[in-house]
Parts: sequence; C-alpha cells; structure tokens
Amino acid sequence: MGSSLSDSTNREDLHSAIAAFDTKPGSPGKKSDGREKIRLFLMRINWLAFVIPLLSITAGLAAWQFLTESQTQFILDFSNIPTPVNVFHSFRDAVVTTVFWRDIYWSMYRILVAFAFGSVLGVTAGVAMGYSNILKLVIAPYIEILRPIPAIAWVPMAILIWPTTEESIIFITFLGAVFPIVLNTWDGVRRVPNELVKAARSLGANRVNVLFHVVIPYAVPNITVGMALGMGSAWFALLAGEMISGRFGIGYFTWEAYQLIQYGNIIVGMLCIGVLSSISTGSIYYLKNKLVPWAE
Amino acid sequence: MSSVGHIEIQGLTLGFKNFGMVNAIVENISLSFSAGSFTSIIGPSGCGKSTLINAIGGHYKPITGHILLDGCEIKQPTADLGIVFQQHTLFPWKTVIENVRFGPIQRGIGKNDANEIASKYIEMVGLSGYEDYYPKMLSGGMQHRAEIARSLANKPAVLLMDEPFGALDAQMRTTLQDSLIKIWDETNVTIIFVTHDVEEAIYLSQKVVVMSRNGGKTNNIFDINEPFPRNKGEFLFSNNGRILKEKCMDALAI
Ligand SMILES: Nc1ncnc2c1ncn2[C@@H]1O[C@H](COP(=O)(O)OP(=O)(O)O)[C@@H](O)[C@H]1O
Ligand SMILES: [Mg+2]
Repeated sequence: MGSSLSDSTNREDLHSAIAAFDTKPGSPGKKSDGREKIRLFLMRINWLAFVIPLLSITAGLAAWQFLTESQTQFILDFSNIPTPVNVFHSFRDAVVTTVFWRDIYWSMYRILVAFAFGSVLGVTAGVAMGYSNILKLVIAPYIEILRPIPAIAWVPMAILIWPTTEESIIFITFLGAVFPIVLNTWDGVRRVPNELVKAARSLGANRVNVLFHVVIPYAVPNITVGMALGMGSAWFALLAGEMISGRFGIGYFTWEAYQLIQYGNIIVGMLCIGVLSSISTGSIYYLKNKLVPWAE
Repeated sequence: MSSVGHIEIQGLTLGFKNFGMVNAIVENISLSFSAGSFTSIIGPSGCGKSTLINAIGGHYKPITGHILLDGCEIKQPTADLGIVFQQHTLFPWKTVIENVRFGPIQRGIGKNDANEIASKYIEMVGLSGYEDYYPKMLSGGMQHRAEIARSLANKPAVLLMDEPFGALDAQMRTTLQDSLIKIWDETNVTIIFVTHDVEEAIYLSQKVVVMSRNGGKTNNIFDINEPFPRNKGEFLFSNNGRILKEKCMDALAI
C-alpha cells in the first residue's frame, strides 16, 4: 500500500518532468500549456489523502451528534455530554473572554519556565554523566530511583516543599520535562566516536573545547529528541498540577468547567490542550531542523 | 633544511589491556624519522600500524620505551603532530572551511586569519568551491582531501597518515599521491605514511619500513634513493623499482 502510493507519486514527478522538458518557449503546443499545467497540478494532488480523513472526521462528528442528541445511555452515558454544535458555541463564547486567554497565558508561562529549567539542568546533567564516570556514578542512582515515579505522584510533596502553589506546579512540570532530556543527552554523549575526539585533540583542542566543539554538537540531535519527549511529558505533568491545585491555566479551565457544569468548555479545554501541546512539540522539531542542517 | 619534526622511537612496546592482562601489539621497536623526511610503513593488516601511528600522535601511552619529537617526550596529542586517521573524522556539523580552520582557531588565531589559512589549504588540496559544503555532501575522496587540508592548516611538524587513500579508486589515488608529494615539497613537513600498498609506498617515500605480523618487528627497512620528482610508471617498472618491490614483498611474506 505505502510503496504503491509512493510509486505513483514518482511516476507523476517523472511525467511532469518530461512535460516540462518537452515544452520549449514558443513551441506550437503553447495554447494548451495552461490547461495541461492545471491537469498535471490536479493529478499531483493526492485527493484520497484529503478526502478520506475528512470523511472519517465527519462520520465521527455525526456519530457524536447522534449519540449526544439522543442522550444514549448504553454502557457509556452520553446524556451529559455536549453536542458538537454546543461545543462550537462554547468555543465562540470562550474566545471573547479574558479568562480563557489568561488561562492559556498561565499554562504557556509555566511550560516555558519549567521547560527552560528542565532543559538547562537536563542537558548539563546528561553531559556530565556522559563525560565523567565519577559524575555518572553520582547522578545515575537518583535518576534510576526518581524517573519511574510519575509526575502526578509528586503533587503532594511539591505542595509541601514549595512556598506557593504556583512554584509547586512549575516544579511538577519541570520534573515531567527533565528526565527524558537527561537520558537522551546522556545517550548522545556516550555515542560520540572516539576518533572525533582524537581528531580534535590532535588539532590542538583542550578538553573543554572538545566538550563544546565535539561532544555537545554530536549529541544535539539526541538532545532535541529528548526535548521533544520532555515537552510532551511536561504538558502531562502541568495538567495534573493545574487540575489538582491550580487557580489558573488551561488545565484548571477544563476542570473548572466540569465543576461549574459548563460541559461544553470541558471539550474546548481538551482541544486547546491538544493544540498547544502539539504546537510546543512541533516548534522543537522545527528548531531542530534549523539547528542541525548537517544531520540526515 | 628543516630542523623541526624529527621523531625518535626507542625500545617501544605498545599494547592494550584486556581484563587486566597486557596484550602487546608492538614489541621493543626502535626507529628514527629525520626532520622533513617521507617514510612509509607497510605491513599485514592487524600488525599494529594504526596502533603505532596513534602512539606517535600522543593518543596511546607506551608500555615501555620512548617516543621523542625533536628530543622531547610525546606525552599527549598536540597540534605539532597532525594525524589523518584511517576512519573519516571530519566534524559532520561543520562545513569544509569550518573544519579546516578548526585547528588554527584552537591555537588562538583570529577568525579572519584562520579563514585565510583555511582557504589556502583548501585550494592546495583542490577543494576550492566546496568551502560551505557539509562533509556528508562530499565524496569519500573529497573528504580525505578535506581531512588532509585540516591537518596541514595547523602547520604540523609531523604529518601522520593512516592508510589515507585506502578506499579510493586508482585514478583518485594517483591524483592525491601527486598532490601529497607536492604538499610535502612545499611544506617540508615530516611525513609518516601507513599503507598496505607496496607500490604506493615505494613511489612516494624515501624510506619504507616493513612491519612484521608478530610483535610489529621492524627489521626490514629499505631506502628508496630515486630522486624527486619521480615518474610513477617509469620508476615502478625500472629495474631498481622492481627489485625494491620484490624485496618489500619478500619482507611482507615473512
Ligand atoms: N582499542 C583496542 N583495544 C584492544 N585491541 C586493539 C585496539 N585497537 C587495535 N587492537 C588490536 O591491535 C592489533 C593491531 O591493530 P591495528 O594497529 O589497528 O593494526 P593495523 O592498523 O596494522 O591493521 C589488532 O590485533 C587489533 O585487534
Ligand atoms: Mg590500521
């Protein structure tokens, strides 16, 4: 299936390449050129790739509308669930309030602060572990013990330790981000080929410069993968924190909607969380492609 | 003419530790490479050529014996001892010019001057126009040339080359051999050149050291007295060339 799809695209590419090669300026076929171009353009678009997902989503929305409007109660209870149309209305009403944007602002702010700390600390610890055996032995046991504990489990401890709720939420989010970053950085640093280090030393680089010019650049692709994973789990942790103890934030918005029986807003909140989280992960991959044009 | 770049090896034993046991690769060898000379080392694969080159470059510590550069013990890698490794070692995240100017910048030369030096050596190895290419965009031969330029840009006293042309096609190999001779002539650098190609060794060097399979013994050393510039075809098929080749082959077979 996959291969047959790519086969057909290749053939189309070839086709249009030949067409482009054949049409010389001022050749007799000039009049039909425009139509031919449109035809080729239409041929290039993979219609099925648009139409099938569209149909699939439409069917899903229709099922949702049907189940909620008929208030179906069969194993699952749809009687309290808003219809898609209701959700759209809730969305339209929410985007004009400052509360909605304030909540988004707070969540993004917490993510950015926590992620910045997580990245700096995670990369530093990962590089230290990869570069020095002693530091590895010092840091690794903490990682082995703490990493399996989900960020949500930290909520009570975080509230006790930090002076304000705000700080405890950022702390929990930081915990979500930091472990994938440490582990992936460490892995990247460990893989640095000995020959590259030797080459740098033979060119006169001291140990510090080897670190910054060889070891860290080599690990950058791994570090960015760790950051993307860390961003995903940072959102997970943030929402846990906001729902349990927050007073602002998109997670709080979603939870509050439940408590205030504004059920449409639950789904608005959920969809917003999805969008924000993919934007933040996507921007890391975007940065990666900008940062490492030399990698595959 | 040149007074720096003399390498003296005295009673050298090299080896690797394996579960606490030392496994000697090269045993008790003594060799001398005079400043500005071109020496080739040939030997069957696994006899310790790379190990020796790495040790001269300061990357492995001798178990016994000494390696001296102009009378001083080599304790760690330095910019004076340039190495072209058997593996590709260009930094993949740096462009050709960034790779070549790496050494000069490490030695504290300003960026503009370093760029100028780098351009000069990039031109010398025939890579002008490829300054801003990343290594992955270059062919294997071009990467080797960039690596040679990177080593030369440091103006090392000694250039250690570990089978640098091993993976190249015959034509590219001939081209690079000729540019290497030219570079050697222009820079007066001492070259120690490892190869498994007897003809390459005889054609390029003033002296050929044959390492033996066991313990890397270096009892067979042949002087190549043919004056430079040499004509590859003529020299290799002359009486003298053929005799040298036979001698090397015999020494290798032991
Ligand atoms: N890092 C290493 N650790 C242990 N043994 C090694 C290492 N590098 C090379 N050797 C061994 O040393 C011997 C010589 O290797 P090498 O110097 O690479 O040979 P050559 O370059 O002549 O082919 C081989 O038997 C090889 O297995
Ligand atoms: Mg070797």
